[in-house]
Amino acid sequence: MTVEQNFEALDQFPVGMRVLAVDDDQTCLKILETLLHHCQYHVTTTNQAQKALELLRENKNKFDLVISDVDMPDMDGFKLLELVGLEMDLPVIMLSAHSDPKYVMKGVTHGACDYLLKPVRIEELKNIWQHVVRSRFDKNRGSNNGEKRDGSGNEGVGNSDQNNNGRVNRKRKDQYNEDEDEERDDNDDSSAQKKQRVVWTVELHKKFVAAVNQLGYEKAMPKKILDLMNVEKLTRENVASHLQKFRLYLKRISGVTNQQALMANSDLHFLQMNCSLNGLDGFHHRPIPVGPGQFHGGAAAMRPYPSNGILGRLNTPSGIGVRNLSSPPPGMFLQNQTDLGKFHHVSSLPLNHTDGGNILQGLPMPLEFDQLHQTNNNIRNMNNNNKSIAANSMAYPNFSTQQNSLISAPNNNNLLVLEGHPQASPSSFQGHQINKRLEHWPNAVSSSSTLPPPTAQNSHHDSLEWNNVSSSYSIPFCDSTTPGLDTTNPRAFCRNTDFDSNEQPGSFYDSLQMRQSGNYGPTTDVMLSSNSSKEGFVVGQQQKLQSGGFMSGDAGSLDDIVNSTMKQEQSQGDLSGGELGYGGFSSLRTCL
Amino acid sequence: MQRQVALIKQSLFDQGYLDEQFMALEELQDDANPNFVEEVSALYFKDSARLINNIDQALERGSFDFNRLDSYMHQFKGSSTSIGANKVKAECTMFRDYCRAGNAEGCLRTFQQLKKEHSTLRKKLEHYFQLARQAGPKETARRPK
Repeated sequence: MTVEQNFEALDQFPVGMRVLAVDDDQTCLKILETLLHHCQYHVTTTNQAQKALELLRENKNKFDLVISDVDMPDMDGFKLLELVGLEMDLPVIMLSAHSDPKYVMKGVTHGACDYLLKPVRIEELKNIWQHVVRSRFDKNRGSNNGEKRDGSGNEGVGNSDQNNNGRVNRKRKDQYNEDEDEERDDNDDSSAQKKQRVVWTVELHKKFVAAVNQLGYEKAMPKKILDLMNVEKLTRENVASHLQKFRLYLKRISGVTNQQALMANSDLHFLQMNCSLNGLDGFHHRPIPVGPGQFHGGAAAMRPYPSNGILGRLNTPSGIGVRNLSSPPPGMFLQNQTDLGKFHHVSSLPLNHTDGGNILQGLPMPLEFDQLHQTNNNIRNMNNNNKSIAANSMAYPNFSTQQNSLISAPNNNNLLVLEGHPQASPSSFQGHQINKRLEHWPNAVSSSSTLPPPTAQNSHHDSLEWNNVSSSYSIPFCDSTTPGLDTTNPRAFCRNTDFDSNEQPGSFYDSLQMRQSGNYGPTTDVMLSSNSSKEGFVVGQQQKLQSGGFMSGDAGSLDDIVNSTMKQEQSQGDLSGGELGYGGFSSLRTCL
Repeated sequence: MQRQVALIKQSLFDQGYLDEQFMALEELQDDANPNFVEEVSALYFKDSARLINNIDQALERGSFDFNRLDSYMHQFKGSSTSIGANKVKAECTMFRDYCRAGNAEGCLRTFQQLKKEHSTLRKKLEHYFQLARQAGPKETARRPK
């Protein structure tokens, strides 16, 4: 049999590949062991699945491959297969005397890389190393793109093999390198295993914030945070990316309120922003039939945020915001450029809209906007108007100017021009608000078929919408899109009558929240509906707006909202008009 | 001597007691593993004796738990296949067929047959190995002197 003559162990992959063989049948096990030896692998055998698991758990880096029989008395081979795949993420080969395709299928579906029939022949075993290479290759490619380096030269194989081996070797070497193990494991775990999207729920985020606070904002390191949080299945990577977003977020809103307040309130807001973005992502990518360049353009422009896993989620808010900016019609709350780091994108949006566009103060309700965008030409118009969808969920002062313009600009698009209320205290969770709002959106949307009178209504609507939006946003974003998230201060926009309290940035959310609950009536419906359907209300609203300018239909309901918002608006001061950017965005409510 | 050994081996193959798998096992035998085949055979017989015992008991109980019997037999078949015990393997298959058919009578009959084959093979192999050992470890399998 052909064997490589060099026995330099590890570096001579596949020579020296470490195999764990499991079979309750002693005869077969012995034969298998010998066969594997003849392939020049390093073999460890056990006739008990439990023992095998122990060995593997002891040090998952000790083995490259597992070969296991199917029928074993102490544990089903498939079960072992699953466990190994999940826990250790090693390639597993099944072995059985059952040639029934059903078993083979079962093996494959449980994750086996291969299924061999007994009696095993040496020719088959000579090739099993490819599974190891393949799985490592995939892992590396997935996670360690930057880490690949050509491994030491391996003889007897082609260049590709060399590379593979190199990678494998590197991986193996790295395995012995404790420092990198964790990273790698994290990477591997995240890329090789089913990447579980980590949803940063409010609770989780709270824990995160608590950990950060405990460590000290400056000193907060992902690893430490992770340790403090002590959450299962959370990886350092998850925390790191979340931390990054969080930091950016804080920077954004830091101008508005003090850090502490932000930190305290930011949970929801942050989440909302993120959530909504995530949720909105869908919107973004939704083919925007509206076609208007604006929307799409905006959307496109706005879509800067990456939607990867958590980040994706987190970013969605920003994305949303961004979207809003560009295309979003009035309703969009785009975070101020300064907002949310991620939401930066927003800034890129054409804030220059004279009208300040849809400045979605607070959380951008991408969902809604997208919806709107898609359907409403108005929105497009709005875009023009709103451009600056400065979705400053958090009190973006700069919006005031825009807001004004926004407000004045009839939101034909029914965009929720959530003007960034300067006061909106975006920090807390505008997202929540929005989410909640969003929930109500559908209702609101329907009602807000007609845009409320531009100014008055707009403001109201805005707030309402905004509130709605916020609520709705939170929906997409956080899994915990529970109204309970009201903890964040909705921006003053919240058209909730309660808005008054929103004056303060921090309170914004609160007010929004309140609003949400209250006002959500018609406007919220709009938003909510949109949220729910993701296209629902916002778009619907838009539509309506388009036709009637403002949602006259909704006016009725909107009126309430408007009124409430108006009050708030007034209190908010700048919020008026511009912020809400309602202009008939009752549907837009998406405000934050 | 070696010739004798070789002849015996040949006859085993010819009579269908052993199949190619046995040959493959022999190929695995080398300096590092001079008595590999013998060791494996010993293992096999030890294991299979245990299995046969289990099946015997199950059958004696009279409760024909076909599923259980089937799984025993599956195991038996697996090891027999690995070692190249041809005839034994064939009996295993038959037994399992009867099991699946729920044919208790057939199972019993087949099992008796299986036991017979099994012990025959065992004896023959023991004899074979004995001779082989006498003839000299390495050469027996490869080059009759």
